[in-house]
Amino acid sequence: MTASVQTVPERLKERLQISGGSAALRIRFMGVLAFQALLMVVFTALVPRFIGWGNVQSILFTAAILAMVAAGQTLVVLTGNLDLSVGSIMGLSAYVVYDLASQAPVLKPYVVLVAIIFGVVLGAINGFLVAVLEIPSIVATLGTLSVYRGFVSFYAHAREVSVGELPQWARHLASANWLGVSAYVWLAVALVLLVGFALRTLPWGRKIYAYGSNPRAAYYYGLSSRRIVIGAYIGAGVIAALVGLLLGAQVGNINSLLADGIELQVLAAVVIGGVSIWGGSGTVYGAAMGAIVLATINNGLVLLGVQEFYRLIFQGAAIVAAVAVDALVQRRVQSATNRRAIMEVTS
Amino acid sequence: MSRQLRTYSSELILVGLIVLAAVWSSGLSPYFLDTSNLLRSAQFFVIFALMAFGLFPVVVQGEIDISLASTLAVGSVLFALLSVRGVSLFAALPIVLVATAALGAVNGLLVAYAGLPSLAVTLGTMGAYRGLAYLLAGDSGVTGITPDYRLLGSSWVGIVPSSVVLALIIAGACALLMGTTSFGRYSYAIGSSPAASRMAAVPVNRTRVAAYALAGGLSGLAGLVWVSQYQSARGDNADGSILFVLTAVVLGGVSIKGGSGRAVGVLLAVVLLGTILTGMQLANVPGTSQTLVIGALLIGAIGLPRAVQLIRQRFGSGQLTAPAGE
Repeated sequence: MTASVQTVPERLKERLQISGGSAALRIRFMGVLAFQALLMVVFTALVPRFIGWGNVQSILFTAAILAMVAAGQTLVVLTGNLDLSVGSIMGLSAYVVYDLASQAPVLKPYVVLVAIIFGVVLGAINGFLVAVLEIPSIVATLGTLSVYRGFVSFYAHAREVSVGELPQWARHLASANWLGVSAYVWLAVALVLLVGFALRTLPWGRKIYAYGSNPRAAYYYGLSSRRIVIGAYIGAGVIAALVGLLLGAQVGNINSLLADGIELQVLAAVVIGGVSIWGGSGTVYGAAMGAIVLATINNGLVLLGVQEFYRLIFQGAAIVAAVAVDALVQRRVQSATNRRAIMEVTS
Repeated sequence: MSRQLRTYSSELILVGLIVLAAVWSSGLSPYFLDTSNLLRSAQFFVIFALMAFGLFPVVVQGEIDISLASTLAVGSVLFALLSVRGVSLFAALPIVLVATAALGAVNGLLVAYAGLPSLAVTLGTMGAYRGLAYLLAGDSGVTGITPDYRLLGSSWVGIVPSSVVLALIIAGACALLMGTTSFGRYSYAIGSSPAASRMAAVPVNRTRVAAYALAGGLSGLAGLVWVSQYQSARGDNADGSILFVLTAVVLGGVSIKGGSGRAVGVLLAVVLLGTILTGMQLANVPGTSQTLVIGALLIGAIGLPRAVQLIRQRFGSGQLTAPAGE
């Protein structure tokens, strides 16, 4: 065996290892970086104040919220599913948790804990529908999107949670600056690193990748698909619930429509960032990069005085383009894997 | 007889549910069962019905299209613009239908020939077409629709509103298309197994593009109904209505995994949802809470059969090995 392997020239073997698979993925990530650089150059050329520190701060702030939710969404997309209900979970968590805290002051110190409980429950419902009842994720989470949102408006009765009812620390956090950058940006960095670390090293994360890249093989390997998918949805739910608190604190007066429709932007960020919609490939860092790209586009178009609908068209085209590139990358990876399999058999 | 009962069991269940919903609604308001009131309420669901009949073949093929509400918005804005510019309805109809069918075909081409997942594609075009509708309509929308465009929404055939007649005609055409033509048979074959269909020389890609184009065209037609009923068009027309449409298709017994479902089921599901929504309006349930019910119905319609199956497996595993007693 060893002798025959050496008959394959080392250089060819190296080429085979790099070409296709990892190279295509690396190029994909570099592509996003290059696109971001291009955007910055173009916007700076058109509007010089785009690159000013104040504006960069505002881009980072928008990107921070998106990147955090996108990190949660990444978990679900890696399993080959989708979660359209994250916006509704954010809204539900922000409204209901802050409202409960203002009505029962006993709960005030436990706001974060209550939000986590909401995230776990709502995420587990999504996961149950997808993994146990085997409802396609798009349909299941489209359903829970409207059920969760309907619940908030039912609960809210067209009332608002006003700024005064929010806990002091949440208000402080929303306006805090650490080292010249909003606290939310640091929280986003920490969360993305944490999720990235968990995906890379914890068994929980490895299982998500294993299941996402080949559910059948994962099954034969003895992995429980239900536990993995439900776990991913719970992760997404908890993150969405916590970010809901952050967004609520920043907005101040919370109505029942908070974060309505944000799921499309989150999904766009994830897909643009190179997380494959087929599951099993991509990173939270890519998704965070996608969030920065989207935030840059939004900010730049606003500065240019371009109307809202161009953003919709641009964003939609970006999703389709990113998925098309992913299809190419996936084919590249596939053929590289096949080639390697053939080499191993013949050598 | 009993075999027919079993074939149409899902439709029979729907009819039963419609009767229940109607009884409930008439309990809320004595005016509900008034014939003219019923027909007037039915008008409001024609738009959803047309989109549902467009989505139906796509879902039968095992794909999905969530961009239809945005296509409708483009269609309604185009109709309104042509009307304001004095183009006659007969000239406008083919223009808009071709334009919206082209929008649908773009989805189809990306799904069929580029091999992209339909969900991601139509998620992208949902935003893009919505943007297009805003772009065409401007900030204030288009008003001042000429009378010939309003005719569909304000005339009656006997006692039935014209738009309801239109929906019934489309329903019949859809049933014929899916039940008797090669397009329909191909659609069921593709939905059951794309790979096997390819080997059986079914023109898979062409059939897919045709289904998406048809869905786009029917959404455009729904745009005409919209313009005729509301006498204006804006970029945000029908935003969010895909939930209702998808629920109707799924509730009508069309498997979301493709390969099965009948037009009559979709029609009955639209009637059922319409009855429930009208009932809730009579009961003064706010609109946002109505979406809660629709969402729950969507999940329940798909999840219930599987839940029943799971419960049977857990509590009656002995019955599994025994031959079915029917």
